Amino acid sequence: MSRRIAKDGLTWLVIAVALAFFLLPVVWILLTSFKAQGEVFHYPPVFWPKNIDFRHYSSVLQGPGGHALKDSLVVASANTALALLVGVPTAYSISRFRVGGQNLAFWILSIRMFPPVASAVPLFLLFRKYQLLDSYWALIIAYLTFNVPFVVWFVKGFFDDLPRDLEEAALVDGATRWRAFTGIALRLAVPGIVTSALLAFVFSWNEFLLALFLTRSQVRTLPVALANLVGGHEIQWGEIGALTVVAIVPVVVLALALQRYVVRGLAFGAVKG
Amino acid sequence: MATTRRQGTGTAAGRGPAALVARLPRPHGTSAPLFAWLMVLPTVIVLLAVTIYPLIYSLRESFYRIELSFSPIPHWVGLQNYVDAFTHDPRFWPAMGRSFYLVGLGVAIELILGFALALVLNRLGRARTVVTALLLVPVMIAPVAVAIEGVVIFNNSWGPLNYLLAQIGVHGPVWLGDRSVALNSILLADGWQWTPFVAIIIAAGLRTLPEEQYEAAAVDGAGRWQLFRTMTLPLLQPLIIVTVLIRAMDIFKTFDTIYVMTGGGPGSATETASFYTYLQGLQFFSFGYAAAISYIQLIVITVVATLLVRRMRKGLG
Repeated sequence: MSRRIAKDGLTWLVIAVALAFFLLPVVWILLTSFKAQGEVFHYPPVFWPKNIDFRHYSSVLQGPGGHALKDSLVVASANTALALLVGVPTAYSISRFRVGGQNLAFWILSIRMFPPVASAVPLFLLFRKYQLLDSYWALIIAYLTFNVPFVVWFVKGFFDDLPRDLEEAALVDGATRWRAFTGIALRLAVPGIVTSALLAFVFSWNEFLLALFLTRSQVRTLPVALANLVGGHEIQWGEIGALTVVAIVPVVVLALALQRYVVRGLAFGAVKG
Repeated sequence: MATTRRQGTGTAAGRGPAALVARLPRPHGTSAPLFAWLMVLPTVIVLLAVTIYPLIYSLRESFYRIELSFSPIPHWVGLQNYVDAFTHDPRFWPAMGRSFYLVGLGVAIELILGFALALVLNRLGRARTVVTALLLVPVMIAPVAVAIEGVVIFNNSWGPLNYLLAQIGVHGPVWLGDRSVALNSILLADGWQWTPFVAIIIAAGLRTLPEEQYEAAAVDGAGRWQLFRTMTLPLLQPLIIVTVLIRAMDIFKTFDTIYVMTGGGPGSATETASFYTYLQGLQFFSFGYAAAISYIQLIVITVVATLLVRRMRKGLG
């Protein structure tokens, strides 16, 4: 009995240490977002800021942060919508008809693994040619490279799990294949499609390298804006902390809500989680 | 399964629509209907347009010397860019070396710590769901945000890490400013972000293992370590290989944290292959050369990705 208690105690000790290690840096940034500049530079470090107010949030959002927040929202939403529009029918087709066999399915998967640095230079050269650099379209298009394959693979998994009987019955009743898809399969797969949309949104939201290559001053997403703030001359740590919190809060909320699917999404569906 | 369904609907509904149904569930069929091809067409077009076309375009560029700063008019140099990368460039191979250093050490550390954490995680009862969700926080946030945490926490005059170390009598290093330490600080940031991912995958895999076999082996008097070595590891091997390949590819691509935390420095201490490509392209504007070295990296990643896909194909049938 006492051995059992000791074992449970040890388990919880390890978990507590792990959670502290993996969460304290995030908490530290949250606290930094409320600190005055003097508190940030104080030694020994100040844990609790003297005042909890949101002045860094309002100042950074009125400055470069507000623009970046808007750009990130526009790019991530438009890219997600487009990725779903293109990817969901493909997911259905591959799931139901095995179109293209395994080769097509795995070709799509392999593009998801494409190194961004290898596509950054080609896309940069191409967008320069078509004068798309530094526009919303540059990122909305570029992010399709990873989000279309992601949506196809992720949503295909959900279609695979749906029974075919209802669609078959509809076909027998004279519905077209398109009706069977939009009227039945699509409706039943809504939870999977919504989850894939949220994850695709996060992937666009977090992306940095392609944004750095393909945009400059007109369009500046949150990660690029953050990197610029860190590289600036008089670094305002409070504002950086605030903008970092703005960038991670939606993602953290989604991580907590979608935990069952996150790993499946990140592991290319290799794990059902 | 498919045949019974075919017969069933065939007798019930006559010829017309039933013929459609007969073609629908065809898991081993080779010819899909036109409808199915039309549904995949947009994806194929988009992926050709955003990956294959740019790649062909930049393959052509990689045979030119384009240096916007010196000679804005491209001139044909054939394979010279590739030859340069292999023979004349004193920075490219050390950069590749650093990438491989990060991959080798990063994968090893994340796998060992992730495995250990997974074993502990699975000892939890109901709390496991909550703990798992919390562990996903580092995994999901933007690498740039991770890098900013790094810059703040590693700061050697006011950062909390060296303060904590000083409390236990350790004189902390200059994490980001010391040539011999900086690359390991990048590694630490990557390990912080991705160890939970490995842990959660492995934990999920461990829960799928057949319990009866373990009980039988335990009855036969096998020890814990023996069970782990002779049963757990072999059973989990496919999952471990997939995890290793995913992490290897991702670490090879590491860029965001390096850009924000060290900018490739001090000197060129954290200049990896992907960071060096960025320098050649966007800082030195040598697009032809940048295209050539992206191709070399693409080949390296393709090899790893092919292994991964082959492994997953085996697993998924």
